[in-house]
This record gives sequence, structure tokens and C-alpha cells, in this order.
Amino acid sequence: MSAPATTPALEVRGLTKRFGGVVAVDGCSFEAPLGQVTGLIGPNGAGKSTAIDLISGFKLPDSGTVLFKGRALEGLPPHVISRLGLIRTFQTPREWPGLTVLENVVMARWDAGREGFFGGLVRMGHAQRARTEDELVRAREILSEFGLGALRNERAGNLSGGQKRLVEFARMRMAQPQLVILDEPMGGVNPVLGERMALAIEAFVATGTSVIVVEHNLPFIERVTQHVIVMAQGTVIAEGPFESLRSNQDVVDAYLGEQVRQ
Amino acid sequence: MTQYLVSILSEGAVFGIMALGLNVIWGWSGDFDLAYYGYIAVGAYMTLVLTIGPAQGDAHYILGQHLPYPLAVVIAVVTAMAVGLIVGAIALRHLRGIYFSIVTLGAVYVMYVFAGQYTPLFDGFNGLSGLYDPMGDWFGLDFKSYQYFFLGLSLVMFALVYLFMARVSGSRFGMALRTLREDERAAAAFGRDIYRLKLKGYVLGAGVGGFAGALFAAYLGAFNTSAWAPVEVIVLYAAVLVGGRGNIMGVALGVLIMGVIVQESTRFLPQVPGLYGMQFLDQHPQILLAARGAIIGLVLVLFLRFRPQGLLPERRYVDSQPVIDVAPQTS
Repeated sequence: MSAPATTPALEVRGLTKRFGGVVAVDGCSFEAPLGQVTGLIGPNGAGKSTAIDLISGFKLPDSGTVLFKGRALEGLPPHVISRLGLIRTFQTPREWPGLTVLENVVMARWDAGREGFFGGLVRMGHAQRARTEDELVRAREILSEFGLGALRNERAGNLSGGQKRLVEFARMRMAQPQLVILDEPMGGVNPVLGERMALAIEAFVATGTSVIVVEHNLPFIERVTQHVIVMAQGTVIAEGPFESLRSNQDVVDAYLGEQVRQ
Repeated sequence: MTQYLVSILSEGAVFGIMALGLNVIWGWSGDFDLAYYGYIAVGAYMTLVLTIGPAQGDAHYILGQHLPYPLAVVIAVVTAMAVGLIVGAIALRHLRGIYFSIVTLGAVYVMYVFAGQYTPLFDGFNGLSGLYDPMGDWFGLDFKSYQYFFLGLSLVMFALVYLFMARVSGSRFGMALRTLREDERAAAAFGRDIYRLKLKGYVLGAGVGGFAGALFAAYLGAFNTSAWAPVEVIVLYAAVLVGGRGNIMGVALGVLIMGVIVQESTRFLPQVPGLYGMQFLDQHPQILLAARGAIIGLVLVLFLRFRPQGLLPERRYVDSQPVIDVAPQTS
């Protein structure tokens, strides 16, 4: 069943989360293929964002399993999951507003050796400074790719909403994760910038990073994904290539509705 | 006049160390810690019980050793860090913002009341005294020349703490603390163990506070509960805020300004015409003390309203390498 070639980037089995009497995620199961872009769509309240919080460790599931690189993630705290190579974004951009754009990108790479108290202060030798210089060079390259080079000394909090989204992409590029989960990256983003994000997602795939993207913007989902999972009422109701979902009556009833008939 | 200057500068250097420690917790980690003065007190008390010898007469206190002052300071700092670790481990676990502040306020009042009421610990409200000119006899100093020695000692210690903090400020550790202040969830999403990192910053701050307390004990020669009402920490907050939260040069400037304001602002009060006149103040000397509090409060409010970043805002790394954008810039 689990031949190396078919090991998914992420495997979710029977994930469940209740808030009081509300079952936000109800036995949700899906796989995200390795090296591909998987879309996660569904109406508001379908449990998409809660599912992401459960996968990334920001909330604890009541039951169910999450397998990433063959390792069970459920119960691990967010920073451990991040260090394993799974990085997520949030619905609203979460830049570090008081730090500059360049600092935002440099600090996206967690460094065990230098962030400890002793590692960072006592052994601040030549090798460390060289590593800092390498990181600055890499961060400048990434910012240049995203058209943020001219803004690198600006405090990230002063940027526009779209620019903050790009900073988040730049941070993820710096962190070099194996899987990224994007929570509504197109929220409040104009079409030109949307195209830039589509290219950024393709660049992730080209460098071996798998992507899961939660989005309400269906043309964007159609543009970037190879595989789509549809959630409603906390569970997966359909999956497959986006094209196949148009003809699925359950999906049309639950979510697509008007958008498809147009 | 010289004596006055020597004393005020020594005190200023000690307050500067206190403010630099607070800056780690509030300036960099971003936590409004009201327990901070407790660590200063622990540092001061521990230094005294380790240097003044066994209790005499009716006095009661723990340890009662005759250790050399520097060794006592080291133990005092470690003790302050241990207390900081306990308070931080509880308060930082799940609480942030005002909830964290309330728990730390509770913690410092427990320390305060305990030190005041439980006499076997530090002799209750009587407090401890008898630390005369530590290390003075090593150099054969008399009372007068010791003042200059202590001024030099406190200035050198301030300089050392300042240089150390400059290093922390620019280090990866210091930057990681700031990511917590700026957005904790994003910091976790990018691999930071929020709790451990915050706790490390907190214990570091508590240790610096304890060190300042150890110097304060030598400066005062004594310490008791009337020397540390927990609200004293507000003066330190005012200094950090006025100078520039997160900027150590700003913090040093803030201590200088607040020191001058606190010491000098009320000096000319009796001469202000129409302000009740000299006689009234002679009859009610407590007004001077109250006026200091009011002036500190006013300075705080004015800065929060008009210059919340302080006189010297936290400096950011400015990259001067040319970067040519491959992609067009986006608005």
C-alpha cells in the first residue's frame, strides 16, 4: 500500500474536532499527493481552517491521525511540526510588522544552533557571521524574485495587504519547507498579484515542495491545482481534478452552485 | 555638591542596569511584567543575608553568611533567576497581555507580603542592614573614598551589562525574541518554541534585575520592604518607554531623563509663584513625594499619546547592498 513512489505528502485519517456541541471537523480523511498542488475548497464553516489548525498543531484534534513523511503529527506542538518541514500561513497576513521586510525573510529560517541562548551569544564566532552573510544573500535573492527588493528596509507593517502576502511567500521560500499549506492566499489580492502568487506556487512545486491551498477563488484553484478536495460540514464530500467536480451533483449543491451555472 | 553628584550617578548606573533587564522582558519579548521589581528585591535580600553574617539579638533571617561580596552577588543572581523561572513558567505558559500582567502582579505581591510578614526569612518589615562598603577593605578604602570606588564599580558594571545587551540585541536570540513580540503565531509557524524562548528571555531579565538588586544592596547598605513597593517598577517602565522600548541606547537615555525628572522636577516646586507658597509645602512635605508620582504619570501619558516609540525608537538593520528586483514591484 505504501510504496515509496506513491507516499503522499500528507495523509489525514478520521480527523475530528468538536467545539462544545459543534462538530467543526467530522471524520475528515484525505491525501495530498507528493509534489503537486492540492486545493481544499468548500463553503464557509466547512471546517477547512480548523482542519489546517489541527494538521499544523495550532489546535489539538479530538481524534484522527495526520501523517507527514510517515510521521504522526497529531499532538505535536506547532514549532515541532514547522521544524519537520510543514509550514502554514493564516487567513490574514501575519508578518512581523515592526521588523523590516528583509528581517522578516531572514528570520523565517529557524536555526537551532544560533537561537539558543548560549549558541547565539557565547559562541558568536566567525563561522556564525559567515552563515548570517549567506542568509542575507539568499534573502536578497528571494526578495528580488518577488519584486520586494526595493522595499527590503521598509517595516513590514507599512506594506499594503498584497505586499504582505508576497512577504509571506518570500518567508516560506526562505524556510525551504517540504509542504506548505496556504490559507486563502487570494483574500483581498488583485488579479495581477494573483498571477504572481500562482507563479510562486508553481515555483514551490518546481523546487520539490508540495502545496495545499485553501481558497474560495475558483478560477485560481482551477489555475494552480492538479487535485481538489471538497469539504462540507466537516467532512470530505468529493475529490478529484477540478474539472471532474463540475459534474458532481453533491459538490454543485454544497458549494459550486451558481458559480458553475454561469 | 560633588558628593551629591557621586551618589546620584551611582544610583543612576544601578537603575540603568535595572532598566536594561526590564527591556529584555518588555522591550524585546513584549511582556508587561509587573513582577520585575521582585527580582531586584530577591537580588538585594540574598546579597545581604550572604554577606552580613549571623543574625544578632531579635533579628531573624536565613543563611547569615560572611561570604565575599562578589560570590554573594553570583548566588543572588542565580536565586533571582530561579524565582524568575518559577514565576515565568507559570505566567508565560498560556497567558498573554493583561492576563500575564495580572498574574505577575499577583506574584510580586505574594513575594512582597511574604518578605514583610514571614520574619524568619528576611526579618520581615525590619529588613536587613549592615552591609558596609563591600570590598572596601580589600583596597584599604575609607568611607569617603569608597563612594568614588562604588561609583566606578557601578559605572563599569553598567557598561558591561550594556555591552552584553548590545550583543543580545543584535544576536539571532534577540531577533527571535522580537518575532514573539511582533507576532507569536507566525513565530511558531516558523519553528519557534514560544514558551521556551519567552521563558529564556524572562529568566535573563530576572537575572539582570537580581544583579542590579545586588548592587543596590551595596549602595543602600540595607534593604527592607519600604525600599521596594512593587509599584516602583512603573518608574522603570517610564524610563524604558521615554527612551525607546527595545533600543538599549534609548533605555540608557530614558534612565537619565527619568532620573533627572524624578530627582529635580519637584526641587523648584516651592518657588513656582501661586503654588500655595513655601509655607504650605513645609506643613505638608508628603506633597512633594506625591507630586513626583503625578509628574511620572503625566510624562507616561504624554509619551504614550505623542511618541509611543520613545525618543530613540528601536533601530532596524538597514541593508545597503544593492538589490535589483527581477519581478516588477507591487503596490
